[in-house]
Amino acid sequence: MKLRNSFQARIACVLILLLLVVVGALTVAVKVATNDAVRAQAREQLQVGTRVFERLLDMRGRRLRDGVQLLAADFGFRDAVSSGDSATIHSALQNQGARIGATDMFVLGMDGRVLASTVDQVPTGSVFRYDTALRELRRSNQSVLFVPLQGLPHLLVEAPVLAPLPIARVVMGFSMDVALARELNSLTNLQVSFLSSEAGRAGELVSTQPAELAASIAQWMQINESAAQRISLSEHEERTYLSQPLLLASSGGAEGGRVMALLQSPLDEAMRPFMALDRNIFGIALAALLASLVGALLLARSVSLPLQSLARAAGRIGHGDYQTDVPLDRTDELGVLAQAIGRMQAGIAEREQRLAHNALHDALTGLPNRALAMERLGSAIAADRPIALLSIGIDNLRELSESGGPTFVDKLLQQVAQTLLELVRPGDTVAHLATDEFLLLLENVDSDSAVAVADKLQQVLLQPHRFGGHDVAIDCRIGIAAFPADGLSAEELLARSAIAMRDAADMPGRLQVYQHGRDLAHQRQVRLIRDLRRAAANNELSLHYQPKLDLRDKQVRQAEALLRWQHPQLGNVSPGEFIELAERTGSIQTLTRWVIEEGIRQLSEWNARGLVVQLSLNISADDLLGADLHERVLRLLDLYGIAAEQLIFEITESAIMREPEKALKVLNSLRDSGISLSVDDFGTGYSSLAHLKRLPVQELKIDQSFVRNLDETSEDAVIVRSTIEMSHNLGLKVVAEGVEYEHSLRLLERWNCDTAQGYLISRPLTAAAFEAWMQPPLPTSTAVVH
Amino acid sequence: MLRLGALLSGLVFSTWVGAASFEARIVQANGAPLADAVLSLSGGPAVVGSRKATAIMDQRAQKYLPHVLAVATGTSVSFPNNDNIRHQVYSFSPAKRFELRLYEGTPSQPELFDKPGVVVLGCNIHDWMLGYIYVTEDPWFAVSDEQGRVRFDQLPAGHYQVSLWHPRSADAQVQQTGKLDMTTTDMTQRYTLTVEATADDAVQEPATSPFSEAFKKAAGEAAQ
Repeated sequence: MKLRNSFQARIACVLILLLLVVVGALTVAVKVATNDAVRAQAREQLQVGTRVFERLLDMRGRRLRDGVQLLAADFGFRDAVSSGDSATIHSALQNQGARIGATDMFVLGMDGRVLASTVDQVPTGSVFRYDTALRELRRSNQSVLFVPLQGLPHLLVEAPVLAPLPIARVVMGFSMDVALARELNSLTNLQVSFLSSEAGRAGELVSTQPAELAASIAQWMQINESAAQRISLSEHEERTYLSQPLLLASSGGAEGGRVMALLQSPLDEAMRPFMALDRNIFGIALAALLASLVGALLLARSVSLPLQSLARAAGRIGHGDYQTDVPLDRTDELGVLAQAIGRMQAGIAEREQRLAHNALHDALTGLPNRALAMERLGSAIAADRPIALLSIGIDNLRELSESGGPTFVDKLLQQVAQTLLELVRPGDTVAHLATDEFLLLLENVDSDSAVAVADKLQQVLLQPHRFGGHDVAIDCRIGIAAFPADGLSAEELLARSAIAMRDAADMPGRLQVYQHGRDLAHQRQVRLIRDLRRAAANNELSLHYQPKLDLRDKQVRQAEALLRWQHPQLGNVSPGEFIELAERTGSIQTLTRWVIEEGIRQLSEWNARGLVVQLSLNISADDLLGADLHERVLRLLDLYGIAAEQLIFEITESAIMREPEKALKVLNSLRDSGISLSVDDFGTGYSSLAHLKRLPVQELKIDQSFVRNLDETSEDAVIVRSTIEMSHNLGLKVVAEGVEYEHSLRLLERWNCDTAQGYLISRPLTAAAFEAWMQPPLPTSTAVVH
Repeated sequence: MLRLGALLSGLVFSTWVGAASFEARIVQANGAPLADAVLSLSGGPAVVGSRKATAIMDQRAQKYLPHVLAVATGTSVSFPNNDNIRHQVYSFSPAKRFELRLYEGTPSQPELFDKPGVVVLGCNIHDWMLGYIYVTEDPWFAVSDEQGRVRFDQLPAGHYQVSLWHPRSADAQVQQTGKLDMTTTDMTQRYTLTVEATADDAVQEPATSPFSEAFKKAAGEAAQ
């Protein structure tokens, strides 16, 4: 896994970097410390060695001087010197010098002239070069003089020859050779080098150092001649030394004889023991590096493996598996995290279950909701099990709600749910789809058996009983659809059972099994409902006018405006179809609004051409109960200059009965402004005549169902005739609509009906046709007959 | 003056013209009296008589006594050793080279100093022992005492050359200091002689402590 790799790599990198820093710092610190220590040690060694060196040289000088003095005191030697015989002196000198190992021997007179010499370069009789220096030496009570002699550094030691007064001086020179250097080296543990220079010319280097370094050392000594006595670092052939140059003797002036000593402490050798330390540190660093690498990988692994496992668990939870435990048996933070994830999983599972339950069940009744019902239905279909759907709609829930309040209704619905559950078999489903709508799924049941069950349900629910302080009888309609007879998909079946339920509203017994084709009608309805809202705006509406014949003088002075809808695709839609839809879906007001304006406009048009008619317009309950009907009508009348008396508003009984008080108020105001009012479809509702008496109406329109097949013997005749008489008694005019037959008209005439309307007189006509129809000078009854 | 008297007792004057005492005071440049200076007078009336004489250079406490002995040419000097240790007296001086092998007591033969000059005496085993014998042919000579005085009681009148010498006089040479016109009246003369402060290489008697010697020796051996 990339993440793991990078995580591991990061931890490893950090650890290794830290380690490198630590090791680096440590190495540097150790290096610096050891360097310092070595140098300090070397410097100390050098300083101590220098003191020892100086002391040794001094001691050696004293010893030599003592030796020389001893020799000079030899009686025979003194005798020889005092003899003044040069040859004798010379031989005595050589003899004495050999005794103490001197390399060069001189006898000087008290005036500094050479009396005898073993060195050819220093002839007898010449003034000894270092005489002054020797006198100086004597005066400062020093024992030894360092001089360059024949290119080599020499120690000069002097002793007087006493006879017994000083008569001469013996000077013996000792070459500072490698043996001396080695001796000093063995005592001081320092590398010792001597270099002499005469008149700026360096002599041969005498050194304990290896020969290959000689040139470099000699050069260095010459360069650092002036910086003598100061300790400094020098490098010869890539070997480093801490060096202490010493100027042993410097006789300035033109001759410039100098003798230098160089003491050196080799740093490389001093550093050598620390090389092992360096190697150890390197080894330790390497080991620590490897260990930390392994450690980092293990650490990263110990973190990343549990993390991976947690990530897998989280992924599993994400996929909806809440059952598997989150396995991490640790007590650290990761363990806590695992526990937290485990708790989260349990919580999610619980909440999801609740959500699922809520999603599939109705909150109020706890019954399965539409989704669950559909699912179960779907599974039955999938299993090819016969199943019947019962859509149950409670009709009188509104009334119950009004009388009992919402809490009561909730309780009631719960009780209904309980009742339904008790009535069905255990395998069946009772679902609550909407407030007043339940759905039953009856397994292994066909339509006919379902009808029986539905009937039983209806009966049980309809039984009046006392509930929550109210007498309750639940009035419900039931639609039935069955699988596989009525559909093959859940959606289809549900829709069809719903259609059946709606249809059941109009059925006696309020029970309906789904009829084929109903769903097409329903589709059409839906489309119409939808398009109806835009019909007015799209100019698809028009008014047709049906003449109303005054039976007394056979004159037509009235017409009823009837709404027509030319649907762009469906063609003419019958008013019976779309008006009902409009009323049900609340778009009736839009239509009526259009109708009123169009009617008034048409009246003004006709008036202008001398055609004066009284026009009936149908007003719905919604219009009546709407806020502004009265004002709007008055405004339109005013706008088109039409007298209110030219208008008749036809209102159905049911429209008035919905909210009688309010309706009455509106009707009164309309009547007051001069508009005539007519009760439409009289006889279909439950309105009583006593009630009618209170209304400010001027006419009744007997419903065409009574008129269409009117003859003397039928029950309709009694109703029509008595209605006419009664109306007349109440001072109301009577209009009979749906007059289609001559004999019906005769009867109505006989019964003194005031006005007749129907196909016998004329079918509804377009505005133009109506105008034309009205044009012939007074249509006669014969014309009517045709 | 005892010494002087002894020296002069051997002199026999051939003529006695008349004499008076002469006293010289010898001082250093800083005015301090200078002892052990030899003042000799040459010239003057001739002196006759035997010049054979003897003198003693005593050795006491590892010192020559006197420190400076002036003798006439031809004097025999004996070197009695009054120490309880032996001495080896020698001289490499041109005026008299001799050596007395290690001896005790008084050697049988005195040494004859027959050449004028300064003879420096040493001891071969005691380097600090230093003595001078001033051998002169002058008839009149004496060594100054602690007060730097030299006195001749009966110095005949006459003209004398005055010579002065001191072991520390410059280059150890005899200084001709001038003439002296002696009359019969007593005279006192003051001479100034410049001397070197101390010889550079005068050997001192070692003042050592046994411990320091031992330590030095040990240190030397350790260094070897």
